[in-house]
Amino acid sequence: MPRERSRPGSDVAWALALAAVLAVVAVVFVARPFLRDPAPASDQLDELAPEARQRLALAEERDRALAALKELEFDHRTGKVSDVDYRAQVGPLRRRAAEALRALERGEQPGHERSPDHGQRVS
Amino acid sequence: MAAALAVFVVYTALAGNGVAQLKPSTLAGHGGDVTVVGAVVGKVTGDAYGRSGMRFQLRDIGSAGAARVPVVYRGSVPDLFKTGRDVVVEGTLRNGVFVAKPGSLITKCPSKYGPGKTTSST
Amino acid sequence: MAALGRAALLLAFGLIAYALIAGSYAAWKRRRRLALSAQNALIAAFPATLVAAAVLFVALGRRDLTFAYVAQHTSHKLPLGYALSAFWGGQEGSLLLWLLILSGYAGLAVWLNRRSRDLVAWTVPVFALVASFFAFMLCFVSSPFNVAPAPADGAGMVPSLQNPYMLAHPPMLYLGYVGLTVPFAFAMGALLSGRTDERWIVATRRWTLAAWTFLGVGQLIGSHWAYVEIGWGGYYAWDPVENAALMPWLAATAFLHSVMIQEKRGMLKVWNMVLVALAFNLSLFGTFLTRSGVIDSIHSFSQSPIGGWFLGFLVLMVVLSVALIYWRLPLLRTKTRLESLVSREATFLYNNLLLVALCLTILWGVLYPVLSDAVRGETRSVSKPYYDFFLHTFGLPLLLLMGIGPLVAWRRASLRSLGKTFLIPFGFAVITGVVLLALGFGSSWPGLLTYTFSAFVVASIALEFVRGRAATGSVVRLIGRNRRRYGGYIVHAAVVLLAIGIAGSSAYQTVREQHLRPGQSIEAAGYTLTYRGSTDVRGANYTGFRALLSASGHGEHFNLDPGMNDYAIEGPSNEASIYHDPRSLGDVFTKAQLVKGNVIDLQVLVKPLVNLIWAAGFVFVLGALIAMWPDAVEQRRLAARYAAGAVPAGL
Repeated sequence: MPRERSRPGSDVAWALALAAVLAVVAVVFVARPFLRDPAPASDQLDELAPEARQRLALAEERDRALAALKELEFDHRTGKVSDVDYRAQVGPLRRRAAEALRALERGEQPGHERSPDHGQRVS
Repeated sequence: MAAALAVFVVYTALAGNGVAQLKPSTLAGHGGDVTVVGAVVGKVTGDAYGRSGMRFQLRDIGSAGAARVPVVYRGSVPDLFKTGRDVVVEGTLRNGVFVAKPGSLITKCPSKYGPGKTTSST
Repeated sequence: MAALGRAALLLAFGLIAYALIAGSYAAWKRRRRLALSAQNALIAAFPATLVAAAVLFVALGRRDLTFAYVAQHTSHKLPLGYALSAFWGGQEGSLLLWLLILSGYAGLAVWLNRRSRDLVAWTVPVFALVASFFAFMLCFVSSPFNVAPAPADGAGMVPSLQNPYMLAHPPMLYLGYVGLTVPFAFAMGALLSGRTDERWIVATRRWTLAAWTFLGVGQLIGSHWAYVEIGWGGYYAWDPVENAALMPWLAATAFLHSVMIQEKRGMLKVWNMVLVALAFNLSLFGTFLTRSGVIDSIHSFSQSPIGGWFLGFLVLMVVLSVALIYWRLPLLRTKTRLESLVSREATFLYNNLLLVALCLTILWGVLYPVLSDAVRGETRSVSKPYYDFFLHTFGLPLLLLMGIGPLVAWRRASLRSLGKTFLIPFGFAVITGVVLLALGFGSSWPGLLTYTFSAFVVASIALEFVRGRAATGSVVRLIGRNRRRYGGYIVHAAVVLLAIGIAGSSAYQTVREQHLRPGQSIEAAGYTLTYRGSTDVRGANYTGFRALLSASGHGEHFNLDPGMNDYAIEGPSNEASIYHDPRSLGDVFTKAQLVKGNVIDLQVLVKPLVNLIWAAGFVFVLGALIAMWPDAVEQRRLAARYAAGAVPAGL
């Protein structure tokens, strides 16, 4: 291993300069939201309003019901679920899915006086 | 279901009755088969396959205590065995000398990556 | 140079501290810009840490011995690759690796999910809390950038670490350990923000799968390394350090399964929170175990500078996790109940119970010495028989469940349809069992059961593919449309390979040991090995010997040369010689030590099917990749569900 030529002064200077640059860039990046928007209309952090939460829960319920139906069909086609079991289960599942879809549509009814749920809509 | 788990955990507490691991300083007075954990000190003499076996001394790991236990060992020597290593060995204390069970010597790897092992296999 | 590293770490610490404090305040008081600012700080911590890491890498590459860390873990003669790998060979470096990976993961995960502002607003401080511990340790307790007058040469690296596996094993494990922080942070973020929906699961599903894969592969690499390098003939010794990685992996496995139930049925929300916290805290515990020596003796714990800190942090995180879950218990409770004890949900539940039970048994085994020392003043420890007992008790039913699960339908399976689907795999297993029994495999009942259950699982998985292909037309389409399910089946197949490999090489192995003079032979399991003589070897930093063996058996002829290397600085090390038998997928493993003159003590282990273990690793990765593979249709659906236009991307 070749011995390094020691130039401690220059090394330290480089190091400090680099560190300083990094720090400045970091600080600017951290301050960016304030620099970009010094006087915003609203500084409120959006959160899900109760209706939005409700709707989300319904959407997840709907997706679950639809996925369960899809799996039931697949399992039936591959023979894992017998005809008897299939008939027994498909009815209730379809009803659940239909209910979830209906509930979701109801929620989307006009009456668009929705409180800000801007957490869902995105800039 | 939680109850089942709890019962089982209690059971293991009783079932896993563990093997005593003693330190050189606490070895005195224990008869029968025990396991000793210690650091190798001093010179390692003799030959593990020779008639009189390999001889070395153990002290407590980490402490600067004065307790020293002489060990006689026969059998295969594990990886990285040398003075200063932490080892685990099974055997019996006889007349102040710890006679090791052949092949039971294990080194503990100092870097904490992967323990050193003996000839016993999984 | 060291000054730059130190400065970079201080910067990282400052950014992380800001992310923690400002982020918590912003989330609590709902300040949008401050929350964004905290998010940026967390993201910026990665480049700062990267600079510090680069400084250390360069110092290692150059063998700059003014860095105390470099002097402790490398030497001039050490080849470059290993010198660089010394980055994670010591305490300070491995802390830096943790922070590097954590800041990278955290920044990426947060940025990908930035649209879910309320969730991320709380996730940021959780990430920052974990990161702040490591940054604090690196800056003020255990710095890799201490300088000292350079010694003539460094302390070098233990020879058993100078192995290609050493380049892969620790980073893999860390990618896994640290990766488990991601689902944890999002889960706690969800609890803090009061969101009870699946957003956090959707965001972290692939992260969890990836971390789990890395952890699994890392362990396999470590086992392989122990097998070929440490050379005692085994690959897993239930050592605390090994268990440290197994426990979080088991918890993560349980979590991966139970999360599926939450997605499909909306159940088990509390259980999932508990599991993700368990997995994360176990991975912290694992890191702590490996680094602090607490298990050796309760006294050596206090000598390690970081032991106390780590324990304190671990306790803090456990308390926080428990408190948060308890606080949000009312929100998490659902009314959905298990419809039937014979359903796929139920098998998932049994699987979870078994996995967690195994995990806790191992934890108990690991803690036993510490507890017994504290309570009785005498260190007692458990060993192989304890672990083997529980591995059999829990592992065998788990193996069986892997075969049962796919055959059972969701919600409810009638016994009649069960009977039909079970018939073929059950029959296949019974026939296999009887045949094996006739062939003499009854010598080990765990081995026999493993093989029989494996046959059941293999048949069950094969049937899934056959039936599925019949339904969709081609295997490729089948897998393409059901990536998670069939990826999962492939992973199960890997586990079966693993089980068979472990059973074969432990339950059915043959061990022989003998002193040999040149010309003498030893027999083992149908192989005959003849000792021809010994020869000296020499390397850059060692001298040693090799025993030359010629062997034959089962229609094959091969040579082996086991021996020992004596390293100048580090001491003697075993060099095992292994023959991989293509016929049996097993190994003939040999170890030799010089007794006197050229008489050797030769140990021969014949390990059937052991190579299946390593093969399983590849299948495992394949299955995980398939399960992880993004599905455009699925992504769109999730996007529509959570936010207009945004993809709630995990990875």
